[in-house]
Amino acid sequence: MPIRRRTPLGWKQLVHSKGRLAVATAGVAFAVLLIFMQLGFMNMLFDSTVMIHRQLNADIVLVSSKARDFANPGTFPRARLLQALSTPGVADAEALYVTSRDWIKQSSNDRGERGAMLLLGVRPDFKAFRDPEITAKQHLLVETGAALFDRQTRGDYTAFRAAIERGERPQTELGGRTVTLVDTMQMGSTFGAEGALIVSDQSFFEFAINRNPGAPSVGLVRVEARRDAEAVAAAIRARLGGYDDTMAMTMEKFIEHSKIRIQQESPIAFIFSFGAVIGMLVGLVIVVEILSADVHDHMAEYATFKAMGFTNRALLGVVFEQSLILSVAGFIPGLGISLALYALVRSTLTMPIAMTLERLLLVLFLAVALCVISGAIAMRRVAKADPADVF
Amino acid sequence: MPASSQPVVVIAGLSHSYGSGATRRQVLFDLDLTILPGEVVFLMGPSGCGKTTVLTLVGGLRSVQQGSVRIAGRELLGADEAGLIANRRNCGFIFQSHNLHRSLTALENVRMGLEAQGRGLPADADERCRRILAVVGLEDHATKRQDQLSGGQRQRVAIARALVSEPTLVLADEPTAALDRQTGHDVVALMRRVARERGATVLMVTHDNRVFDLADRILEMEDGRIVGSRQGDSPVPHAGAGHRLEYTT
Repeated sequence: MPIRRRTPLGWKQLVHSKGRLAVATAGVAFAVLLIFMQLGFMNMLFDSTVMIHRQLNADIVLVSSKARDFANPGTFPRARLLQALSTPGVADAEALYVTSRDWIKQSSNDRGERGAMLLLGVRPDFKAFRDPEITAKQHLLVETGAALFDRQTRGDYTAFRAAIERGERPQTELGGRTVTLVDTMQMGSTFGAEGALIVSDQSFFEFAINRNPGAPSVGLVRVEARRDAEAVAAAIRARLGGYDDTMAMTMEKFIEHSKIRIQQESPIAFIFSFGAVIGMLVGLVIVVEILSADVHDHMAEYATFKAMGFTNRALLGVVFEQSLILSVAGFIPGLGISLALYALVRSTLTMPIAMTLERLLLVLFLAVALCVISGAIAMRRVAKADPADVF
Repeated sequence: MPASSQPVVVIAGLSHSYGSGATRRQVLFDLDLTILPGEVVFLMGPSGCGKTTVLTLVGGLRSVQQGSVRIAGRELLGADEAGLIANRRNCGFIFQSHNLHRSLTALENVRMGLEAQGRGLPADADERCRRILAVVGLEDHATKRQDQLSGGQRQRVAIARALVSEPTLVLADEPTAALDRQTGHDVVALMRRVARERGATVLMVTHDNRVFDLADRILEMEDGRIVGSRQGDSPVPHAGAGHRLEYTT
């Protein structure tokens, strides 16, 4: 016999109490928003940590064994770079110098505030970055004190950008010396620095007088065509075997290594994870309260249904149905608001925050889990409904 | 009533207590009762005499402690939860306060009577529900929720819900308590008529002497015992097979 679909009792109950539905949906949406934002910020931290790594034009990198993150990479002896260069399979190798320096922002309000910039020093004729725009403009860095200015620098740099667009060369103070912004490029800000400046290696030592050419921050190594980068990296490691001051790894390993390091060494990952858990708990409490109140209000009806012959399982299905509806109903606005806030963070902080499919599915799963757990707690009351109580 | 059929309700030596130890209170004492198919039996007596306990035991809403309760051949003494649920599905319940689900329409409430059977809804479920709503005079109220219905209409929906699955036994607990005199009489008359049409037996708890004319038999209870039995005041002729009575208010 053909079967008709059963009455969607859970849905009917929810939409009948519209105020309660709105509160429950808002509660789940808030939890979803909190989880999305916490996970988004956490991943933004990790992504911003390796944002510059991804722009480096290298198959293998050399870094200090004590390197922490890109803003604090430490240094290693330049001799290691020469050793790497002499390894079979290596096409070329060049030094990249990295440090952070305060500069005077001279934003459009001209208050002369100070900010921290990441300073990258590279030989002007070496293609150190993948971005062809930077490569095309590197020749401008030959002039001492010239810098390419990251137009994604966080903050109000309208005046600088406008001046450069007009063909002017605005100047400001970097590390106590005059820097000339000869053009712009795109790099992006990190948690530690508002933006980046690329200068020549010669200019770098003007701005960072405590640094010397014999101690680069990162060695950029490119392998010959059709050579396996991992095998060449292993050969470099073998060649550097007697020295534990320098690590050689492929770019992929370098990115992975940096992410793991920030995850293990920074308390931020824990803090954001904790925030996500708090979001879950807040949502859990709200949904448990809402579902429990709904079950309480319908106890007489549930008892009546039991008297009519409904099994506990069938009635638990009603609460389960409500849980699933709430999870989806709360997830959609939570996702929408999160996407809007991600866009806001991207535009104001110029940091790499984006929704990934994995995160979307993870949070959807968490939202469903949250509501199912809440439903399971509320279901205990349904199971206790005594059909004899209806008389 | 069909004379040759087996009894629908056979109660023998039924005793029941609430609580335990020092707080144990016995409410039924060695009760015997037999109800034949199609019979309309009213159970009356003062509050606390055990009427409702009898109803809940017959309906399988409580476990039988002592004695035998056999409903349509199914023994409830020692029945497990599945056995009790199976018995409930064979009964139609009508409660003092209709207990309609407030977020459902009249039609959906009636449909719950079919969904309670646990077999999935038949394809013609809505048609069946509409038919029985028409029988109780509510064909034009199918899409209304309980807050859009009068007290009498709600009780008629409850009757439709109890009878839509064509149960063997209808158990009613003071269905006229919240209704005025005429509406109460109409509702019970309707319940009796529809039950008869569908071959159901009715066991109804009531204090309401205004409806005694609708009973085949009236049992009087006192202190957990049946102390008297008499014929209804003015028995209504039984409907024959296939005969449908028109409902009028």
